[in-house]
Amino acid sequence: MWRQFEGTTLNFISENTAPTVAIAANLDKFMELTGIQVNILQLELGALVQKAALDIGSGEGSYQVLYADPYQILAPYHEAMADLNAFDGDENLPSIDRGIGDFIPTQLAAAGRFENEERLIGLPYDCPTMIWMYRKDLFEKYGDRMSQDLGFDPTPTDNSTWEQYYRIADWFNENVDEIPYGTGHQARQYDSLMCDFSNILWSYGGDYFDNETVGTLGTVDPGPCVLDSPEALEAAAFYKKLLGIAHPGSTAWDWNALDEAFRAEQVAMAPNWHEFAAGDEAPESAIRGKVGYARLPRGPVKSTSMWGGTGLSINGESPIREQKAAWLFLVWATSPETMLMGLKSEVGGGTPTRGSLYELPEVKKAMEPPSDLPNMLTYDAVSKAWDPENIGLRPKIPSWNECDTAIYTEVSRMLVGDKSPEQAMQTAKRYFDEAQSRVKTLASGPATSGRA
Amino acid sequence: MAATPAAENQSRRQPKNGGPRISLEMKMLLPVLFLLALLSLFPFLYIIFMSFNTVSMIGGISFDFAGLDNWTRMFTDEVVGAAWLRGILYFLATVGLELVLGIGMALLVHELVWGKNLALSLLLLPMFMAPVIVGLLGRFLTDGTYGLYAWFLNTTGVFQQDILGTPSSALLAVILMDVWEWTPLIMLIVLAGLSSVDQATLEAAKVDGAGYWQRLRHVVVPAVSGIVVVALLIRSMDAIRYFDVIFITTNGGPGNATKIIPIRLYETAFRFFDLGYAAAIGLGMLAFSILVANAFVAILKRRGLAR
Amino acid sequence: MNGSNAARGKQAVLYGILVLVLLWTLVPIFWMVLSSFKSSADLLSTTPKVIFTPSLEHYIALFATSNLWGYIQNSLLAAGISTVIAVVLGCLAGYGLSRSDFRGKHHVAFWIISTRMAPIAAVILPLFILFRYAGLLDTTAGLVIAYLTFNLPFAIWIMNAFFADLPPALEQAAMVDGATKFQAFWRVALPVTAPGIVTTAILCLVFSWNDYAFAVTFAGPDSQTLPIAAAQLNTQTGLNWGQLSAIGTIVVLPMMVVGLAVRRYLVAGLTLGAVKE
Repeated sequence: MWRQFEGTTLNFISENTAPTVAIAANLDKFMELTGIQVNILQLELGALVQKAALDIGSGEGSYQVLYADPYQILAPYHEAMADLNAFDGDENLPSIDRGIGDFIPTQLAAAGRFENEERLIGLPYDCPTMIWMYRKDLFEKYGDRMSQDLGFDPTPTDNSTWEQYYRIADWFNENVDEIPYGTGHQARQYDSLMCDFSNILWSYGGDYFDNETVGTLGTVDPGPCVLDSPEALEAAAFYKKLLGIAHPGSTAWDWNALDEAFRAEQVAMAPNWHEFAAGDEAPESAIRGKVGYARLPRGPVKSTSMWGGTGLSINGESPIREQKAAWLFLVWATSPETMLMGLKSEVGGGTPTRGSLYELPEVKKAMEPPSDLPNMLTYDAVSKAWDPENIGLRPKIPSWNECDTAIYTEVSRMLVGDKSPEQAMQTAKRYFDEAQSRVKTLASGPATSGRA
Repeated sequence: MAATPAAENQSRRQPKNGGPRISLEMKMLLPVLFLLALLSLFPFLYIIFMSFNTVSMIGGISFDFAGLDNWTRMFTDEVVGAAWLRGILYFLATVGLELVLGIGMALLVHELVWGKNLALSLLLLPMFMAPVIVGLLGRFLTDGTYGLYAWFLNTTGVFQQDILGTPSSALLAVILMDVWEWTPLIMLIVLAGLSSVDQATLEAAKVDGAGYWQRLRHVVVPAVSGIVVVALLIRSMDAIRYFDVIFITTNGGPGNATKIIPIRLYETAFRFFDLGYAAAIGLGMLAFSILVANAFVAILKRRGLAR
Repeated sequence: MNGSNAARGKQAVLYGILVLVLLWTLVPIFWMVLSSFKSSADLLSTTPKVIFTPSLEHYIALFATSNLWGYIQNSLLAAGISTVIAVVLGCLAGYGLSRSDFRGKHHVAFWIISTRMAPIAAVILPLFILFRYAGLLDTTAGLVIAYLTFNLPFAIWIMNAFFADLPPALEQAAMVDGATKFQAFWRVALPVTAPGIVTTAILCLVFSWNDYAFAVTFAGPDSQTLPIAAAQLNTQTGLNWGQLSAIGTIVVLPMMVVGLAVRRYLVAGLTLGAVKE
């Protein structure tokens, strides 16, 4: 069954992420198994989106396997993605190992579906999630003084609040010399700012739209934007306050630069993606063994952690035979063995999207230091983050790119002093609603029936 | 040497086979122009067509006639307007600085007695680095954590804030990165011009007692002004379209401080997939380039240098 | 004597300024090359390190994990071939244009150069469609043609300017001596404008070598170029500065060699041109 497409060549276009790097290093296994040659093209996200759009839009279909970012590729082009249920149910093709239920449910919905519970258009591939990283050695060293001065125990728990986070960061600024700043953020005028801000927005009870399924399944029409709600304004005001005492480089940093600063001991705490743990705990890292990982703090309403995962999809514009060959690749790439291999890989380090893998003894062992699989040290923090109440899912709407640009532009202007929180949120809301009304036309092109 | 009647007749002689009189010049020119037209007319017409439609790439490229919608939107879009202002500011700053520094560097190298070749090769290097790499290198040098320049500015107390994180310094930084990369281009072209200034006139001026600056003003500048305008034109064409450096360093931030029009164009086309609108913006940029180029060509013509 | 003192003083000032200019130009490049030999830890240290133990790890990693030789080849091929075609056709068309005389000639010249002003993001879609129908996607040939869209008008226009500056007298003299028009072009006009040809070729090469936007759009796994390789280092979990410095060094090196080689020729050609009268 696995060798029926022997001799075919597949093209896989992906962002240059850890799981893809690991898979690229192990492609010979797939070749042995199936006789299919896979060419992997890794690009940075913007270039990837451009190429994928051209490939799909022109009907070329030369990239059969797509790293389908749920917001930039899946939402706009959901109609062009092949329905994977057909392949999974086909008795001539291998089906998903351990069944579809093995994927973490929130991730399956976010990365694998759009608007429609019936259609499966992606398999969860990676799952970076934002968590609270902090220098636990410094917390131990100064813990007593901090408790005294602040009036509460600073050790991160499920009940820590953003207000407390702010005060801890401020305390570090004032009282600790060995590290320049208490907190750093990925507040570059880019996706990273939107991610960082969203955590706070949601924790205060604010949101982009008042729509339950806009983050999980997504929708073409989410209704009016609610960024002007009192909760959203409160969140924006707090975010401005917090960034006011953060490391000044924050407005130029994306997640990579933030991690570099964290490892260079420029900041004591940072909300960042959990997969950076691998680099922070690496042998050459100056802070190995010194980092603690916790869920992000709560706002008045709850604690939410931004999820940034993606799924693999099959290009519906490609010939059907190639789609089926691509299915073999999808099954292999998201299989428990491959994901485990990715987790353990030296060049990779992505955490699995399958629940069963977290039950394995060797993986469980790695959740406590010292750990062979450093990303697992974050498991406590991220596993709760993946629960439906806590997971931070941004809107999955076809106009998201425009809205994303609007929100990170306005928040950036707020941070550099151009605008007040009210002005920023009002302007953002205006752009959101404008984009929505315009893009509805773009998204509803002629339906694709999938080329045969 | 005056052309003799015999030579002139020869150049207008009919081809032997008595066929249509297509001169050699035309035979050299037309096929190439045809190729150029092939490569450029289709995209040009296509973009014009796109600008009058709402273009969708879902399920195949489809057009939905929208009349002047994209155009009216462009003229009332405050984001695009702001991007234009910043774009023009960026354009003037980069081209202006490159012009002044490029001419200065050309004069400098021209006057060198020893090591001219070496100096030239070294000074041309920045031009050979892809803008993408220049941008990344710029980020590497200005990063607050490990950047060489950031460290230097910080420890000498000249500038303590984050270079790319503060709007004013971010704009200045990307301008300087562009200047760093492209000044050698101006220098190269101006140097070519300087090297062909009539030596005889220069010598005569020296003999007449003219000092360096006088010779510069009265002999050199008139002789190379045509070339300088050519250099300006070449650089200007690209200065309004290139955005790789800004894209890879600040992505238009912080607070939109560096969001110039070509970045907005790219966003509109390939993040928002709003290709009809992008076509309109693109045509606007083309119109701007043509205006600027026209201005330069008019200057060239006034000096009798454009043919 | 006063004269030579003043001359020496002037040279001293000149070289002083030259040093400053060289610093401005070369410090980033020097830093980049230096960094490519640093270990990752040294690279990211908060105080810049000038003394360190060199390591080849980035170069090794580059050549091992990515198809760097392939990228270099693709870049060289696409840029080189496109330059050659552009310069050849540019000389032909530039000469033809400068020596012909018809109404609207300067309009044609302006049209030629205006094709190079196309806003990149807007023309990508129509060009993509064109290339798709011609089967040129993901091929080096496609890249060559894509680069021609900006190299060809540039070459034509510059060579036109150079030929226009050349008095027809020289060619007419040759024709009096019995040469055909084409021979006059080939044996007289072309050699005299050699410096212009070299400058054009260098610039075309530079513009193609540095292109990122077209490469991303039209190149595929087989035809990727160096700028794409550099941008790829911007991964989701870190920007690999070490490998980036290494790629930057690799990119600059051949250009430096070419520049050094051709530089002597060009400067000689420039001064030769000055003496022609």
